Amino acid sequence: MAIPLKYNLRNLLVRWRTSVATLLGIALVVAVFVMVESLAAGLKHSFVTTGDERNLLMLRKGSTADSNSQIGRMQVDRIRYMAGIARQADGRPLLSAESVILVSLARASSQGEANVLVRGLEPAGLELRPQARLVEGRMFRGGLREVICSRQLGERFSCCQLGRSFRAGKNQFKVVGVFDAGRSAYDSEIWMDVNEARSVFDREFFSSILFRPENEEAAARLKKTIEDDRQLTSRIIREPDYFKEQTMTAGPIKWFGDFLSWIMSIGAVFAVMNTMYATIGRRIREVGTLRVLGFRRREILISFLLESLFLGLIGGVIGCLLALPLNGVATGTINLQTFSEVAFQFRVTPDLLIKGMVFSMFMGVAGGFLPARVAASTPVLQALKSV
Amino acid sequence: MIDLVELTKLYRQGDIDVTALDRVSLHIDEGEFLALMGPSGSGKSTLLHIMAGIDRPTSGQCLFRGVDVAQLSETALAEWRSRHIGFIFQTFNLIPVMTAAENVELPLLLTRLRASERRERVEFALELVGLKDRLKHLPRQLSGGQEQRVAIARAIVTDPELVVADEPTGNLDAHSAHEVMGLLATLNQTHGKTIVMVTHDPRAAQYGTRQLHLEKGELQHDTAQASPAEAEA
Amino acid sequence: MTLAGFMARNALRNKRRSFLTIASVALSLFLLCTLRTGLREMTNPASMEESACRVAVRHKVSIANVLPAKQRDLIKRVAGVASVMPLTWYGGVYIDEKHFFSRFAVDPAEAFRQFGEMKISPEHRDAFIKKKTGCVVGIKTMERFHFKMGDRIELAGDVWPCDVALEIVGTYRGGIDETILFFNHKYLDEASGNRGVVGCWWVLADRVDSVPRIIAEINRMFRNSDAEVLAESERAFQMGFVSMLGNVTLLIGSISGVILFTMFLVTASTMAMAIRERFREIAILKAFGFRSSDLAGLIVAESLLLAMAGGVLGCGGAWLMFRLVPIDTMTNGFFPIFEVTPGIMAQGMGIAMALGFFSCLVPAWNALRLSVVDGLKILD
Repeated sequence: MAIPLKYNLRNLLVRWRTSVATLLGIALVVAVFVMVESLAAGLKHSFVTTGDERNLLMLRKGSTADSNSQIGRMQVDRIRYMAGIARQADGRPLLSAESVILVSLARASSQGEANVLVRGLEPAGLELRPQARLVEGRMFRGGLREVICSRQLGERFSCCQLGRSFRAGKNQFKVVGVFDAGRSAYDSEIWMDVNEARSVFDREFFSSILFRPENEEAAARLKKTIEDDRQLTSRIIREPDYFKEQTMTAGPIKWFGDFLSWIMSIGAVFAVMNTMYATIGRRIREVGTLRVLGFRRREILISFLLESLFLGLIGGVIGCLLALPLNGVATGTINLQTFSEVAFQFRVTPDLLIKGMVFSMFMGVAGGFLPARVAASTPVLQALKSV
Repeated sequence: MIDLVELTKLYRQGDIDVTALDRVSLHIDEGEFLALMGPSGSGKSTLLHIMAGIDRPTSGQCLFRGVDVAQLSETALAEWRSRHIGFIFQTFNLIPVMTAAENVELPLLLTRLRASERRERVEFALELVGLKDRLKHLPRQLSGGQEQRVAIARAIVTDPELVVADEPTGNLDAHSAHEVMGLLATLNQTHGKTIVMVTHDPRAAQYGTRQLHLEKGELQHDTAQASPAEAEA
Repeated sequence: MTLAGFMARNALRNKRRSFLTIASVALSLFLLCTLRTGLREMTNPASMEESACRVAVRHKVSIANVLPAKQRDLIKRVAGVASVMPLTWYGGVYIDEKHFFSRFAVDPAEAFRQFGEMKISPEHRDAFIKKKTGCVVGIKTMERFHFKMGDRIELAGDVWPCDVALEIVGTYRGGIDETILFFNHKYLDEASGNRGVVGCWWVLADRVDSVPRIIAEINRMFRNSDAEVLAESERAFQMGFVSMLGNVTLLIGSISGVILFTMFLVTASTMAMAIRERFREIAILKAFGFRSSDLAGLIVAESLLLAMAGGVLGCGGAWLMFRLVPIDTMTNGFFPIFEVTPGIMAQGMGIAMALGFFSCLVPAWNALRLSVVDGLKILD
């Protein structure tokens, strides 16, 4: 027969001060774990959800991001009229030659500046990115120094809000529209007309070409034709795959989170051990009594393990609850590949919460194991006699 | 030596006041060995605690050589205890991490004695209780009777005028109890120590020179004993 | 045997708990020192005295925009300018991304004049100036890849659309970062088709006093030109990178706060447990006549002792670990140096002390107020 759980719960309640301190210790470790992981998850999410599976992106061979890729005018012209590219309603190819420029802008919150990615695109570029929708204002017009900004960016750079304007180089740009790209990587960008972008920022080259092949077979053929062409020195990558490559930015954050969580969890395990040793030290006579009543060593062990598991469990729940409000909070950091600001949101996913709970229970059991074994292995007589 | 005047002690237990001592008056002479008897809750321990200066009366006076102990400040009281009182407890209360000699030495740390003098006194006290060969033993290496004898040595090492003992035989078997009581009687008779002891063991009480019965916080009867049990130690 | 000795023995009586307490304080302080160091490295990059005379000039739009090479002569003419050279981030890939170290194209004749703290032998310098495909590699990178003089290094362009093949003609020691590879800007120009552009200008002032004026003049000179520039002190330029990190600093700051709070909770509850267990003994000592204030003082001392022991282990451990572990290569050069400074360690010890003190306040206060009669009643 198992020792009733009530016994353990009451004991936790009786020494509530120690229990609360230990619980909170575990809770805070779990909260930090979930927090940092949700940061990495949010960052990853913004990249992973970007792009349309049907689209192909062409970059200069060897470049790691569109911000450092260069494609000449001639190359663009050659690609534009290749066979197998889908058509827009008006019959023109569904292709957008784009130019990416980094612009240094002042942050809304703190002092300091950050690079923001300005993308010059063709009208087809909007059709190629159905996940971005204009939610306020209107579309930019070429030649008027007009841009549209993502709503998320507006939260971090006040000059990117509707009706505001910012200076870059000699020119003043007006924000005439706000778009929402469904929390994808495009939510960190400013969009404008590509030809205007090239002329005001004095760009001879384009950065990349985004286009949609008619079908899978055409896609494979186009990829082969372009990559085999020595004069083009280009590489073709599916649009979503390109953004997946950039998730490496989340790497250091995840590493940092793991490092923190591991060291903090050892501290928390120590705390649980301390608590459980103390509680068992105090209750060793009770343990003797239980043994006299006929409970076996294993039941004593399980009983105390359950008690510490319970500590971990409650701590985990509190920790998850502490981290939950972070869900959806906007933040930003530098994209290590494009060197530009990436705006994203903390994502506290159910998956992460489960991980947090498992982590907390692990801490509880790891901390409780040695003390529980001590309790279970104390000889009956010695346990009864000890004061 | 001790004069208790109209000593009253009230406890608050939840919402009700409990009277532990009800206007107790008592005189104790130098050299007496007083056995305080009575059922649980009769107030005998409270009386002992007040006499030893670790508890304060609600009203009344506790005069020790004319000084009202109850009026002393907490700090003064602590110093007063270290000079005049030796304690013996039912559960011995030896510090488990210290050897017998170190336990006995503990009260001497409050004096200005030099290490060599302290050592002498410790050895003397332990010799008196017959444990000179157990200097380096830890409490857990001793029997119950031996532990209590170490505690007695600790109580007398500062040469206090009053030794208070709270159920000194309560945790001992008959043989050890007999030994310990013999030792206390010797201290009283040969060394002239005034002893106040709380007990509910009538056989232990036999060793006293005077027996006092308390019930519900009031003194019942006071018997002087012409021939206390003989010390055998 | 003294009372202090008695308390010290008492502190170690429950060896397991003392160990766990010290270890958890040590762990927390280790983390704290690590975070503080990381934060300091990121937000307050190390700089040398020599840095005060240097001015960085970048494109106003952003650092990713290039500047026209023709600006050089104009900058050169500004009064007080002792030297101007292009400093261009080449980046590139050596074997693969894991073999990362910084690579810049510079003017070989000016580079080691401007970066005076980087020491190079005259022979190496001359060879660097003479050989167009030559490069100078920092001693740390030399050791990391076991490079020898005369070795060839092939880099594939990522930011720049051209590959370069270099030959090691020299090495330098000193300065903050001993991992950098410098090569001839002329080689980069040729390899990339002589577009006449550079990444940044690096300017050396003759005196520290002239720096603000030089900055103002350079900024004014190119205002309303095709390539408007932003000149700033080298220090300010470095801080610009910090700003790009975004909320990371805030994040680390708040995590440090959480760790401190957790540490306080855990230590305080341990101290409370340790002292409550000893209430009976404290009562006995009081009965003998020991003063309450002395006993409380000893409790505080004991707690301080444990916390400080944890502090020494944690701060010292962090210091030792980051001396032995090559953080610069582990983080791919993100943290070129990772030094737990005496200041950070002192801060850590201060925190340990405060922790020891505050976590025992409540138990010490309880012990102080404990009446002897109540204390003796406690049975466990």
